[in-house]
This record gives sequence, structure tokens and C-alpha cells, in this order.
Amino acid sequence: MSKLDIQQLIDFLEENREKTNEVTLTDVMDLAEVMTGSVGDLIEQAQPAVTRELAEIGAEIAQMKAEISNLRVADMRENHIPEAGRELDAIVSSTEEATHTIMEAAEAIMAADPEDSEAYADTVNMQVMEIFQACAFQDITGQRISKVVSTLNTIDERVSSFVERLRLEHESHSDQKAEETEEERRKRELILHGPQHEGEGVSQDEIDALLGDVQQDDIDKLFA
Amino acid sequence: MALDLQMPILVVDDYKTMIRIIRNLLKQLGFTDIDDAADGTEAYEKMKQRRYGLVISDWNMEPMTGYELLKQVRQDAALCKTPFIMVTAESKTENVIAAKKAGVNNYIVKPFNAQTLKGKIEAVFAD
Repeated sequence: MSKLDIQQLIDFLEENREKTNEVTLTDVMDLAEVMTGSVGDLIEQAQPAVTRELAEIGAEIAQMKAEISNLRVADMRENHIPEAGRELDAIVSSTEEATHTIMEAAEAIMAADPEDSEAYADTVNMQVMEIFQACAFQDITGQRISKVVSTLNTIDERVSSFVERLRLEHESHSDQKAEETEEERRKRELILHGPQHEGEGVSQDEIDALLGDVQQDDIDKLFA
Repeated sequence: MALDLQMPILVVDDYKTMIRIIRNLLKQLGFTDIDDAADGTEAYEKMKQRRYGLVISDWNMEPMTGYELLKQVRQDAALCKTPFIMVTAESKTENVIAAKKAGVNNYIVKPFNAQTLKGKIEAVFAD
């Protein structure tokens, strides 16, 4: 290892001395690059095959840095994901507002006095118009959802490409065995599946049958 | 058996809109004394203060779910006889069986209509 190599390594460590609590993947890769370069000459003299290995490792690290750069994490975190969040918030807000308007109209109709037929007809017509207008939210909501789907597709493409190029497919499968989070545990224990898609859940008739016919013994068997 | 339209009913849901829908449906069915709570914890506190004739609860709420509320109510000697209907989007067989095992009186899957709600309330009080 030459004096220059050692100096490079010292410089690198000096520069990063203050970062002990926030070491990033990029820092580790930078250190690996410096280390790879530093020991290269020394090992070349003793073992050329090891030098080739080190050169390949260096190239892999450089490629990984390029791939991480292509992922544009900051762009996703600072632009795409917040924008998708804003769209979803707007969807919740507009559907809530429309529902409120529709229910106000329906309640006004329910409260109207049918004895006075003329006034009743006026109330019903006016409130029905309110309902029609409120239903316009569906068009805007559809456009907002399209933008969110587009964002998800962008993220999916970038991450998929990243996984493919770095040959992480195999590792990604092992994620399925990752430790259960607190939220996942709560969902499992409290049986929180959320709404089912069409045809996936049980129907009201099937529920009625389950509640009517299933005996405690049958239930106990399912939990045995 | 005629339904007691004056009995106090507690509607438990974390969505104000759903509470409003169920309130209006119950009013349409003739019920007059309707109270509400935003989750299981609030509902349980209200149930300790007042004797309700029926509880209609959603499943998926925070911090206490309807399922936890049901189990807690059934373990409470003073409240365990309170009729309890689960109204929820949780429509897996596993959920229905768990609710049945925990002592639910009936189970309605969202979305539902006034007729279904009426039928289930009648079924609970016919038992």
C-alpha cells in the first residue's frame, strides 16, 4: 500500500469522522471503493487473481451506485409520493364533501312536509338538483386516481428495474420471511382484512347461513 | 314480537358518514333514541354509563375494534346480555366465525340496505 493510498484512506475517514450516527449505504460503498483501490497495488504484487477479483468488486460497487442513482429516491420521496398523498387526501375530502351534500339533500327531503304538495315538490326538485351536482365529484376523483396509479406505476418500474439489474430477485423472495411488524401482528390478531373485492368475500346470504347453521362444535373444529 | 322503537341504540363507527347513514335508516324504521360512538373504547365507556337495548358496531376501528368491544362486552357481567350486531366490510368467513364465537347476535356486511338492517334487528329480538 503506497503512502498516497494510505493518505486517501485517512482523508476519507477524516472527512466522515463526524458522520458516525448517520452512515449511509453510499458512505459504505465509498469506503469500499477507497479500500479496494488502496489495497490493490499491494495485493497485485502478491496475488494477481485477487487483484482481478477486487477490480470486479469495484466495478460492481460502481454499478450499484449508478443503479441507486437511477432509482432517483429523492425524486420519489420529495415529489411523486407527496403528490400522490395530496391527491389521495383530495379524494377523501371531495368524496366526504359530496356525501355530506347528498345526505343533506336526502335529509331535507325526509324532513319536508308532504301535506303541502306544491312546497314539497319544490323541495324535492331543488334537493334532487343538489344531488346531481354533488355527483360530479366522481369525474374529478377518477382523474385524481389516475394520477396516483401513474405514480405507483413509475415507482414500480424504477424499483423493478433496480431489483432486476442488481439481481436481487432471489433476496426479495426471502423478504416474505421477514419479522412480523407490530401493525401486521395487530391486523392478524384482530382479523383486520379490510373490504374484499367483488366475489372474494362471503355474501350476506352466506353469512346468514353461517350464523344460522354452524354449531359451536363446528366452529371449535375450525380453531383446533 | 313487536320491536321497542323507544329502546336506546348505540351506533359505533369511526366514519361520521356511516353513523349518519345508520342513524337515518334507524329513524326511517321508527327508532327514536339513537346514540353514537367513534370507536370501541368510547362505546364501552358509554355502555357503562347507560343501558342500551342494542349495539350496532363496525369492526375496523382504532384504537379498539368492534371485535374487541364485542369480546369485552361479553366478558362484562353487567353488559353481557346486550344485543350486538356487527355491521362491517370485513366479509371473510374467518371474521364471521370469530364474531359468532365471540357472541355476536347478527352480522351485516357493508354495503347494506334498510331492509337488511330491519330484518337483522327483528331477527335479534325474535330469538
